[in-house]
Amino acid sequence: MIAATAALNEMQTPAVPPKVLNARNLSKRFGHIQALENAAIELEAGEIRAVCGENGAGKSTLVKILTGILQSDTGNIEIDGRAVHIKSPRDSQEVGLNLVSQELSICPDLSVLDNIWLGSIEVPMFHRKKAFRNRARKTLEMLGAAHIDLDQPAAKLSTGERQIVEIARMLGRDTRILILDEPTATLSDSEIERVMQALKALKREGHAILYITHRLSEVFEICDTVTVMRNGREVLAANVSDLDRKALIEAMLGRPFEEMYPTHKPASGEAAALRIANLNIPGAVDKLNLVVPRGQIVCLTGQVGSGAEDVVHAVAGMLVEAEGDISVNGRRLQPGFPEKAKKLGIRFVSGDRAEEGIFIGLSVTDNLVATRLDARGLAGVLSPGALKKEAARLAEKIRFDRRRLASVASTLSGGNQQKLAFGRCIDHGKPGVIVMIEPTRGIDVGARAEIYQLMRDFCDQGYGLLIASTDFSEVLGIGDRIVTLYRGKVVQTYHAGQVTMPQIVADVTHPVMS
Amino acid sequence: MTSQLDWLWPSPSTLFRWCIVVALAVFAVTTPGFLSPTSLRSLLSTASLVGCVAVGMTFVTMSGNIMSFSLGASLSATTVVFVWLLPYGAAAAVTGALLFGAGINAVQGLVIGYFRANPIIVSMAAFALILGVFTMLTGGRGIYITTNDAEIFNTNFSFVPGPLMAFAACALVGQAILRFTRFGRQVFLLGSNPRAALAAGMEPWRTVTWAYALAGLFTTVTAVLIASRYGSGDLQHGTGFEYQAISAVLVGGTAIQGGNGSVLRTFIGTMLIAIFKAVLILRGFSIELQQLLIGVVVLLVIMLQWRAGDLK
Repeated sequence: MIAATAALNEMQTPAVPPKVLNARNLSKRFGHIQALENAAIELEAGEIRAVCGENGAGKSTLVKILTGILQSDTGNIEIDGRAVHIKSPRDSQEVGLNLVSQELSICPDLSVLDNIWLGSIEVPMFHRKKAFRNRARKTLEMLGAAHIDLDQPAAKLSTGERQIVEIARMLGRDTRILILDEPTATLSDSEIERVMQALKALKREGHAILYITHRLSEVFEICDTVTVMRNGREVLAANVSDLDRKALIEAMLGRPFEEMYPTHKPASGEAAALRIANLNIPGAVDKLNLVVPRGQIVCLTGQVGSGAEDVVHAVAGMLVEAEGDISVNGRRLQPGFPEKAKKLGIRFVSGDRAEEGIFIGLSVTDNLVATRLDARGLAGVLSPGALKKEAARLAEKIRFDRRRLASVASTLSGGNQQKLAFGRCIDHGKPGVIVMIEPTRGIDVGARAEIYQLMRDFCDQGYGLLIASTDFSEVLGIGDRIVTLYRGKVVQTYHAGQVTMPQIVADVTHPVMS
Repeated sequence: MTSQLDWLWPSPSTLFRWCIVVALAVFAVTTPGFLSPTSLRSLLSTASLVGCVAVGMTFVTMSGNIMSFSLGASLSATTVVFVWLLPYGAAAAVTGALLFGAGINAVQGLVIGYFRANPIIVSMAAFALILGVFTMLTGGRGIYITTNDAEIFNTNFSFVPGPLMAFAACALVGQAILRFTRFGRQVFLLGSNPRAALAAGMEPWRTVTWAYALAGLFTTVTAVLIASRYGSGDLQHGTGFEYQAISAVLVGGTAIQGGNGSVLRTFIGTMLIAIFKAVLILRGFSIELQQLLIGVVVLLVIMLQWRAGDLK
């Protein structure tokens, strides 16, 4: 009896090694907004933990605290059982926490080798020892990327390969815990696979990884455990194997999961809103033909480099080198002049919201009325009242909270920013064509459903929508017609319901060209 | 509860700004001689001359083109053009000067906007070009006004110096253009995000060209005042004005990267620098120390802006 108790005690206590990361009671307040409330996060060696949650759930605040960009108001962090105080990004690196950020910090003109050792304190300034070269090579091999040539400039790598080089850089710095913040947000599926393989290799090596993502399929593919955050709190911490997709989404949303995509519109005899014939874009697109009927959504999909984005850019009038016939409601577009495309009724929603989509430092009102200044006012003089009224009217149409018209765009969530870009597109007289790239990139699940519903609304108003997307479930969910592309050529055109995910994947990776 | 009291706690950068203003005010009022009419008038006149150029510079900065290095050269050249045209009457001289000032700057705007050339490089080239051509034309010598046609631009309105009236008018007109016209809105949009402006189907080159043309117009106001004041057109008249103008713009709080600012802020910036300078002169600081201290203040303000952007 006594022996049994002793044995039991032994099992419960010290024998368990301390957690690699153990953060408790982290709270952070900005003014009167509680961004993080008693959040906790644990990691063991060889564990990949997903951190999910909608925008504003507190994920990025958590990352910023761990990486020393912000200091938490309360709470403590232990690494390997030792309490640490992270007061700056440098402290964070010294205790072995390293972040691979969404925005890649690769120097394109330097070689892969230089990029891997960039910023490392180990390396002498003007001297490159063979040892560093060997270590870099070994790291890349471990990550399953032995094919990457150490001497080529990083600019020649694909985005996925750059991501791997960035991970390799972190490994060169004695990393205990790797934090990846949406590493696959801008990658195509085959590229994602590459990064996934690298992460699996890291796991085998016993590294602990914190994986922040919007893509649920990745949670189920590579993560062991998941922490779901909502409104600054941890609402779920579980083993991935105990969960299904629906349960995960519901935990993120905090409410039952309704249908994400509105119903498809059956093909009708509607006239073409947009007609593309023999479109050639040197180095990107080869003799492409395409019709977008009024009231329908046509999705172009393929891997990064398939030419889908180039087609959209060409239609938006942004590529001077595009050749071929693009016509809107029967009128021909002259390539290379965005303002002429606009006059024809083409509206463009960029996939890169901060860079190309919205005016991030200006107010919601300014953003909404940005492209409709020419229609108003005498001799160029505008009435602020009329502009406000116009913005309020548009806000109504895009289901944007009218009380926030004076907010600065940078304070909005990704979903609300995208609504602004949408609001700019509609209501310019006769419905034309709206072209978009990755309409829901970086937008959380809850807001996505709203964005899709808005896209349907536009169709009902008579717009034709052309969308380039690498998110296949989105393409299947929203597209009335789906066009698969491979290296600038159309592989197949499907109507909604005629195609499955495996078929799309097959089309865009190893197509059977007719 | 905290939200109701928020207004009591302005952001650190606002607080700092108010501290500077109050400190400067105290410093100024306690400086012997600062409040004398002569000193105030000369302070306001000098500040106003820089101020008109600064109003013009605001448009360049706001449109996302940082600053124009050639506004000083443009100012000098315009004084010469004005004096040349004066024999045809004051009205003709002013019209010609305005057209010239707007023209040589609009060309720069066109090159920058249409060919997407770097604004700094273009304005530096223009600086050299304008001074080069005008040195050839004038032989490098100043030319003098021989009639009293220009006297009208040299009048004061009882206590208020003429240049101050001109500056106030420029600031009001400039602010109205920036706030209430389509062009003004487009300056904001373009300065905020040039790529988004292009993608949204605007024509950024038009906006940039107009912004530079306006910068030239406002600079010409100073050119006419200076030529009338000194009775000459001279290539030295505008030396350093571009730096003083950009300092005023930045100290006023217009963002160097564009898209955020106003002409009224420039007005305040101009006045702050002028008062600071006057105090330094009255307290007997040497010219070198004056320049050094003004440089320090401008640097501080810019650092503060970046920091404020970080904290937001």
